Amino acid sequence: MHLTFTQKKVLLTTGCVLLVVCAPFWGMTVISPFSLLESGSPEAEVFWRLRLPRAVAAFLSGAGLGVSGMVFQAMFRNPLATPFTLGVSSGAAFGASVYFRFSAPLLLLGGAGSLGAALCGGLLSMLMVYLITRARGGFSTSVMLLAGVIINFFFSSLVAFVQFWSNANDSLRIMHWLMGSLAGLEIARLADLAFIIVAGALLIFRLSPELDLLTAGDELAASRGVAVRQAKVTLFIVASVMVGAVVSLGGPIGFVGMMTPHICRLWLGWAHRQLLPATFVLGGSFLTLCDLLARTALAPAEIPIGIITALIGAPFFLWTLFRANQKGELF
Amino acid sequence: MSAAIFCENLGFSFSGEPCLKTITFSLEKGAYLSIIGPNGAGKSTLLKIFLRLHGTGHARGLARVHGCPLASYSQRELARLIAYVPQAGDRLPPLTVAEFLQLSRYPYAFGAKGLSAEDREALDKALAHTDMTRLAARRLDTLSGGERQKAFLAAALAQGAGILLLDEPASSLDPKHAAEVSLLLKTLNREQGITMLTVTHDLNHPLDAGGQTLVLRRGEQIFFGPSDMLARGDILEAAFNHTFTFLRHPATGKTLVLADQP
Repeated sequence: MHLTFTQKKVLLTTGCVLLVVCAPFWGMTVISPFSLLESGSPEAEVFWRLRLPRAVAAFLSGAGLGVSGMVFQAMFRNPLATPFTLGVSSGAAFGASVYFRFSAPLLLLGGAGSLGAALCGGLLSMLMVYLITRARGGFSTSVMLLAGVIINFFFSSLVAFVQFWSNANDSLRIMHWLMGSLAGLEIARLADLAFIIVAGALLIFRLSPELDLLTAGDELAASRGVAVRQAKVTLFIVASVMVGAVVSLGGPIGFVGMMTPHICRLWLGWAHRQLLPATFVLGGSFLTLCDLLARTALAPAEIPIGIITALIGAPFFLWTLFRANQKGELF
Repeated sequence: MSAAIFCENLGFSFSGEPCLKTITFSLEKGAYLSIIGPNGAGKSTLLKIFLRLHGTGHARGLARVHGCPLASYSQRELARLIAYVPQAGDRLPPLTVAEFLQLSRYPYAFGAKGLSAEDREALDKALAHTDMTRLAARRLDTLSGGERQKAFLAAALAQGAGILLLDEPASSLDPKHAAEVSLLLKTLNREQGITMLTVTHDLNHPLDAGGQTLVLRRGEQIFFGPSDMLARGDILEAAFNHTFTFLRHPATGKTLVLADQP
């Protein structure tokens, strides 16, 4: 099937908008759009109070993970570079689980505490990866990826330790959250998330020429006038903050950050001015769809969304790997 | 008028290990400099200092571009003055020639605006000078080695810089394409007045191209001066620790150099 560029964009946008608009009406029970017109009906209440915020959160989380994945992939010129493989997610998870364990004395901070804790954890892991890479000299991609994997393991074991140290109640809470779920969503946090994701995406959009050049290699980018180190540090921080925000809300939801930018790149090409909006929309829609599945597949029980993304993501990961082997390189 | 490129006692060390020592030379605008020397002499490092691509190493001494210290330029300003053709063999971005050339206009675009008329003109000119216009829509990874090298050269030209740094531009090409690229460099130097700094392993290149030559060995400057002087023999002997035979080309009368059998 050969579609022009514009046709592809229109198709992608329509599909995603349709999905996102319809998603909140679906659920354990299907809500009729007409019932929204009657104010005070229980269905309208469920829709406005529960379904819609949740769909919005799913969309924003997916968009944020997709865009940050896109940034990491471009920066490291490797489709396997994701918020997970770089250790940012597990750092954020560690921050948040520490908060859950010790939240009692920190309650003054309210819900913003988990956001702050996850951000700190994410930035801490990022800093460690950065320092390890710098200590090995230069900004080598392989060293940075390896450092990410190491940090990822390190923080994962710290999370396990925090969990081990907690009482049964906290432990269960952490475990549920680690699977990735949007079930316990606080509406107040939605505004924070929206602000961070939208501002982050806009900032990264402004850096799309730099991303294009970084994809062509650090050396070439520098010779074309990109202040490579500065651009990379900015991109890394912005992307990590986005991941931290998503993780604090929905837990470490995997694979979205790897799959969506990759699919968009295969479909729409490399220019980040096109790629970023596409990844934003596709990432958001994908997670909205996964959340819909999570809510409905075994209703009234809810499957943690991270399990669904991982079930779809793992085969995709394998497919990427085999595709890479055929050509001998990943990009 | 100040020199296009000037360095005095320029040194460079990487984690305490010096790889360049006291390099001193000056190039006027429109000069043609060949940089030769054995492997590991610091040739590529010298180019990378002027691109500020030296990573965690430390540079010492003085390096000026158009009279101002290298450090006084932002990376973007520097890119408007100096363009770079990297060594072949790096991973290719999955772009068409035209898309690849557009990236070269980065130093002039502020923000994510489209191409200006000036940008388009520079791109068209770069394609025309390198005879790549007919291949503009092809993807880089479908080009032959020679075409690819010309695409990289076109991209560097599209940057609109007056100084071009080239890292072994012809080393991976067959003789025909290597000769084509060499001729192209000479033409660009002569007709466009572009200052060229070319790292090369082909000792006949400086003898053929003329201009000046910088000879390095283990980070030390052995010689800087007119390329004809290489025909004296002792310079190359000292640099490569090897003897050479010099011949006269029967048709052009230019000096040719051959490495002797050990």
